[in-house]
Amino acid sequence: MRDTPAYRRLLHLRLGGARQSAAEMDLEIESHIAMRVADLVRQGMDPDAARSAALARFGDFDAARARLHAAAYRRDKALRHRDRLVDLAADFRYALRQARRTPGFVAAVVLTLALGIGANAAMFSIVDRLLFRAPPMLRHPSSTHRIYLADAYRGKTLYNEYIPYARYVDFATSTTAFSRLAQANDIEMAIGSGPDTREMQVGVVTASFFDFFDAPPVLGHYYTAAEDRPPNGTAVAVLSYGFWHTRYAGAHNVLGQAIQIGATKYTIIGVAPRGFVGLWPGSPPAAFVPLTAYGREIAAGMLGRGDRWWTTYNFTWATVIAERKPNVSVAAATADLTSAYARSYQTATATTPGMQPITVDRPRGIVASILSERGPNESSTAKVATWITGVAIVVWLIACANVANLLLARALRRRREIAVRLALGVSRARLASQLVTESVAFALGGGVMGVLIAQWGGAVLRSQFLSGSAQPAVATDARTVLYAGAAALLAGLLAGLAPIFQTRGVDLADHLKAGVREGTYQRSRLRIALLVFQGTLSVVLLVGAGLFVRSLRQVNQVPLGYDPSHVLEVELAMRGAALDSARNVALRERLLDEAASMPDVASASRQLAVPFAMHWAMRLYVTGIDSVARLGQFEMNAVSPAYFRTMGTRILAGRGISDADRDGATRAMVVSQSMAKTLWPGRDPIGECVKIQADTVPCTYVVGVAEDIKARELDNDPGLYYYLSAAQFHPDDGGLFVRTRGPATDAQEAVRRQLQRLMPGASYVVLEPLSDLLGEETRSWRLGATMFVVFGSLALVLAAIGLYGVVTYNVAQRTHELGVRAALGARMSDLARLVVREGLQLTVFGVAIGSGIALVVAPWVAPLLFRESPRDPWVFGLVAAVLLVVAALASFVPAHRAARADPMQALRSD
Amino acid sequence: MDDGLPLLKGTLDLLILKTLSWGPMHGYAIATWLEDRSSGALGVDDSALYQALQRMEGRGWLSAEWGTTEHNRRARYYKLTAAGRRRLRDESAMWMRYTTSVTSILSLATRSA
Repeated sequence: MRDTPAYRRLLHLRLGGARQSAAEMDLEIESHIAMRVADLVRQGMDPDAARSAALARFGDFDAARARLHAAAYRRDKALRHRDRLVDLAADFRYALRQARRTPGFVAAVVLTLALGIGANAAMFSIVDRLLFRAPPMLRHPSSTHRIYLADAYRGKTLYNEYIPYARYVDFATSTTAFSRLAQANDIEMAIGSGPDTREMQVGVVTASFFDFFDAPPVLGHYYTAAEDRPPNGTAVAVLSYGFWHTRYAGAHNVLGQAIQIGATKYTIIGVAPRGFVGLWPGSPPAAFVPLTAYGREIAAGMLGRGDRWWTTYNFTWATVIAERKPNVSVAAATADLTSAYARSYQTATATTPGMQPITVDRPRGIVASILSERGPNESSTAKVATWITGVAIVVWLIACANVANLLLARALRRRREIAVRLALGVSRARLASQLVTESVAFALGGGVMGVLIAQWGGAVLRSQFLSGSAQPAVATDARTVLYAGAAALLAGLLAGLAPIFQTRGVDLADHLKAGVREGTYQRSRLRIALLVFQGTLSVVLLVGAGLFVRSLRQVNQVPLGYDPSHVLEVELAMRGAALDSARNVALRERLLDEAASMPDVASASRQLAVPFAMHWAMRLYVTGIDSVARLGQFEMNAVSPAYFRTMGTRILAGRGISDADRDGATRAMVVSQSMAKTLWPGRDPIGECVKIQADTVPCTYVVGVAEDIKARELDNDPGLYYYLSAAQFHPDDGGLFVRTRGPATDAQEAVRRQLQRLMPGASYVVLEPLSDLLGEETRSWRLGATMFVVFGSLALVLAAIGLYGVVTYNVAQRTHELGVRAALGARMSDLARLVVREGLQLTVFGVAIGSGIALVVAPWVAPLLFRESPRDPWVFGLVAAVLLVVAALASFVPAHRAARADPMQALRSD
Repeated sequence: MDDGLPLLKGTLDLLILKTLSWGPMHGYAIATWLEDRSSGALGVDDSALYQALQRMEGRGWLSAEWGTTEHNRRARYYKLTAAGRRRLRDESAMWMRYTTSVTSILSLATRSA
């Protein structure tokens, strides 16, 4: 009368199914009726009558029987389910019991998995946000698209995400594939007034934008199309939930209050719900304003070209998003958009001079993902992130291989136990499920730890990949945790399969005999394959690390022609403070004097252009040269005398800009070395005449030659650059460069505060370290180098642990053999060599295969490298050397131990 | 049994649990045990009894095994599991409370009538 699940399975559940349950039920009914008939007969009833009476007790017998069959089937299904749970719980307890017995082993397994899973969870949380996760609260994420316009220009196709307002209106009125369209941009603007003024992201969006989202405002309402009409809309604003709380402490009386955003005073009419970030989860806007209300500032941005911003096709500045109608395919929507673009293009050519003919431009519309990193203009950060994710998956594979190897080693140690259990009749399936449950339990432990690692280490990663302030946690993000869970489960299953593979060949009799396991030394092919696999993957990753590190070194060694460390760029945001030219000049002079007089500041200069950020170019005329423009793009900066000292750019000949080059004096210019060579090859450029903008203006004379600088590209910058005197050219425009005595970031706030005091009205200054601007340029290499090195080292460590574990295990297995060898006169060094040679053999295999793979994959990473061949023999050689050294060390330690063992003891132990 | 008292909903489970608390029994024994204890007053349909048994086994309150009766007949023996015992305890306590309250109210009503 035991109710063991095994009994039930053996007796009747193995056949399973409804038929089996029914047959058993019939037996039971039959037995019941027989007993009742027997009782009734004993009481004196006629047997036939007794049988009828017994059947009658079931009511309608056939119906009752059918009902009971169904009940029995349901019962068996429930029991099977229960049995599985009971088995699983038992397996789990068994796994925990085993784990308690071997804490070191479990720690190794869990830690290995945690590192592999942690790396993946961290990368997933980044890539998910860059490439997969639609902005929150979107009503129909899969049918909401970002629109791009493709144009052919000089043999290339340009993809434009920024679209003129007029074209957006054309699309909105003439497409049929979309249920709604909106135009949007996030713009950094100064919010507030006085000392509270802060630069924040503002969503400049059409009224239709809010319809894309399921995000009813928590207070007030969103603006309507009537409040969003060109040219100037209505100055109303909707605050974000976060801003409402930080700036207004969530007060309900904000509605109707005024708020200064950019040059305009807006009236607050609503508050968006918590978590609403528009299209910009990376940099959530503080407020949303009507696109047309921002029109005045757009017009200002157009520098008075006189066009009306809402009808011109010349000024592109905001994204268009569109929601496809439910029954329209992407292809159909693309066709619809393309024909709308063609019509709009024709309209534009009629009013806008200088446009390419439509036959040349071949305008096309593209209905792309709502995520810009998946559109045609993805950034190199996304590319690098995708690569690094591949790398993280490789690390995960290595971790799986390692754990599989550890589990295999243990399975081999437990061969006798397994053989005993098989002999006792435990089915192989049951045994397999036990082993898998065990490894899955480990893997889940590893997963939990991995998520913690990702939470901790991932913060560093996210700050590298994702700009902006919003950096949500890993451990509280359902998608990331789910991903980590899946990675853990899969790792557990994969690693758990290895020992099962091994038990297939278990010969019961062999392993039941004592002594066998210690006597022979068998290499496990599977284990060797896993080791070689690990070595291979480590080589691939380390080669990647080497290539990126060398690229980064090349990048850092590029001579810039200036020293960006300790330099702050000062930008002036006038924000409606309309000064006349003379007062603009005076303000800049005052700012320069103020900055230069600060004790933290070494020197300061004015500037019009900023390398890699702000460019100026003008037509130049030089006697004897037909077209200067044909020789290349010449960039200009207008600076004050301290410029070359401030930036650290050397003057190679003549002089720099001086105080003598003031307004009204002869115009002076300093040219770069390359510019001098291009315009006056083989001649002394000093004293040469250049006419700027028109060849009728007076000469500007070259007074000096400066070293070349990088202003546009780190690689292949033509270096055609010249400097004018800020006093002589646009003295009422531009900002400053300030060289600080200590680190630029330390002085930044003090300088800002000091300069801000001089700013009139709502205008303000923005400071940024020049190295930050340049940092953007070198980010993808820094990122690649850091990540490949981190993950490559992780892979190497894991592979080394794996090798060490296997060699140690093999040595333990060979104690007997080694003992015999020692007894027969082998020297210690011979024994050590024997063991190390095996480890090295495997590594050589791994290096060979890994190098082969790396050579094949190399061309794909080439575009991400900087002046570095993807098949750099130095990198490959170094990686091979590192791997061999690590392998030698990993196998030498156990080999040394084996060699020192007392042969007598080894021989006696059997 | 046609003139037996109809069973209130849910009481059959409780009665089966109580019956089996005396020890493992097959279905027919449970049926006769109930008839004997209630002096034939409780009408238990055999079909309903077996349905209840399957359901309760599926829920894990009972377990069952084939065995042999004293007359050397094969029969399926049911027995209480730990969960079944817990269920019996809880259900009978509730039943007692329930009947006590109902009875007290009914007796009150008689007096005031």
